[in-house]
Amino acid sequence: MKPPLLRFRHASVGYGSSPVLTGVTLDVVEGNFVGVLGHNGSGKTTLLKTILGLIPNLKGEFAARGKAGGAPRFGYVPQKERLDPLYPLTGRDVAAMGTYRRLELFRRLRGLAREDHIAECLADCGAAALADKRFSDLSGGQKQRVLIARALAAEPEVLALDEPLSGIDVTTQRALIKLLKHLKEERGLTVLMVSHRVHVEKDLFTHVVWCDEGKAHSGETGEMLKGRLGEMFRGEM
Amino acid sequence: MSLLAEVLAPSFLLHHAVYGSLAVGFVCPLVGVYIILRRMVFWGVALPQVSAAGIAAALMLQGLGYAWLSGGEAGERHLAIVGAVLFTGAAILALAWLERRGGSVGDGRLGALYAAAGAATILCVAWNAAGETEMMGLLKGEIVSISESDFHAMINAFAAIAAGLFLFQKELLLVSFDRDMAVTLGRSVVVWDALLYLMVGLTVSLGVMTVGPLVIFGLLVLPPMAALPWARSMGALSVLASLAGGLSALGGFLLSYSYDLPLGPVIVGAATAAWAASAALRALVDLRNGGRAAP
Repeated sequence: MKPPLLRFRHASVGYGSSPVLTGVTLDVVEGNFVGVLGHNGSGKTTLLKTILGLIPNLKGEFAARGKAGGAPRFGYVPQKERLDPLYPLTGRDVAAMGTYRRLELFRRLRGLAREDHIAECLADCGAAALADKRFSDLSGGQKQRVLIARALAAEPEVLALDEPLSGIDVTTQRALIKLLKHLKEERGLTVLMVSHRVHVEKDLFTHVVWCDEGKAHSGETGEMLKGRLGEMFRGEM
Repeated sequence: MSLLAEVLAPSFLLHHAVYGSLAVGFVCPLVGVYIILRRMVFWGVALPQVSAAGIAAALMLQGLGYAWLSGGEAGERHLAIVGAVLFTGAAILALAWLERRGGSVGDGRLGALYAAAGAATILCVAWNAAGETEMMGLLKGEIVSISESDFHAMINAFAAIAAGLFLFQKELLLVSFDRDMAVTLGRSVVVWDALLYLMVGLTVSLGVMTVGPLVIFGLLVLPPMAALPWARSMGALSVLASLAGGLSALGGFLLSYSYDLPLGPVIVGAATAAWAASAALRALVDLRNGGRAAP
């Protein structure tokens, strides 16, 4: 059995000294597609921020170990509404940010261009035609494709998406789900997806973390749909 | 054209004033781009005033007999620079700490800082035993009286700031546009923010000494605002804003020299005219295309 990329044991996550979620016990293994589900304000994004290292784990055990030994390489897709439309950026400019992991100065001095890599990521996400368009002028679905391309440009082990389907029409949601499935299979990615829209993605996930009333319940999707928790979970779907 | 050739000639009596104004005009908007995009305009109001308070406090202490630097007028100018840099640096550190602690500095805190710095400036001027007139000249920006060595030091500092902004444009953009993404890519947001704040602080401190707080605020804000409706990339925004600032400074100097007007307000007037013209032209173009309104 592969060692987990992410491991929580009886952990509490939150801000400052106030836990938002307690009892988080979870293993995320390479190739998993994990849905972090729950109502608005249930702590889904807080859990994701802890995983990404944006806020510290408050209590219990949390370990993140990638192939290179340190934290895994994350490709992060934030909530698109969080990004300020004032910035004069094209789709290509936004996607290129995924390559800013190393010190850009040295890359520029060596003259190593990453243009092909960025173009490939945009094309894989069906966003090649959006490369020269102003990012703030794009529709919600188009922005999401560019942001997924940006995450891919970071050459991630784990793709982490925060509410990628919110504010998008159903047809575009389906297209994005298809894209995510394709990318996972094609690139062998591990995917973490935060969503409050449970019914749309129920067949998508291998594992589910259900955040409810300050507690996180996790397991394989099939198991979650059986036992006592399944009743509540099915009710939501 | 003959007037332009006259003021740009190295033999021109006020050539320090011309080139100093041009340096401030070209470099301030490069920093101002980040102030506008990060929605920190109130920082742009407060920091020049804090810098002015630093100058006034340093000179007041010297006037009261606490003279740390000798050398007459040059020593006084160096002392003023030390005061401006110390006060601006301390204010930036405090604001950055508050921002990190609470997620936002808050307009109220910046307003309070502005009011306190304004009051401190006036009080320091009133208490200065060395005389108000000389100090008021420094506070308004005395580029005309700057020494050759100080002038070159100032130009070198602005060149270093411009080079830093160019070299680290992508890193500064990443931490400004999406801080969380920067962290997931292993970037230290604290380090890059500190570098940006350092460049803001140096630009404001040196700029206030050169052209005064009013002009610095005008050049931080107006040229990037004029450039924003037309820019399609960060590079284009920086170049257009810098050009707008440099041309406003040059145009302002020519008008000031020709009609014997005070330099600072004329530069701000020229930058305001550039912003108004840009916004009107953008609105006209949008009206024609039935497109979006200018920011």
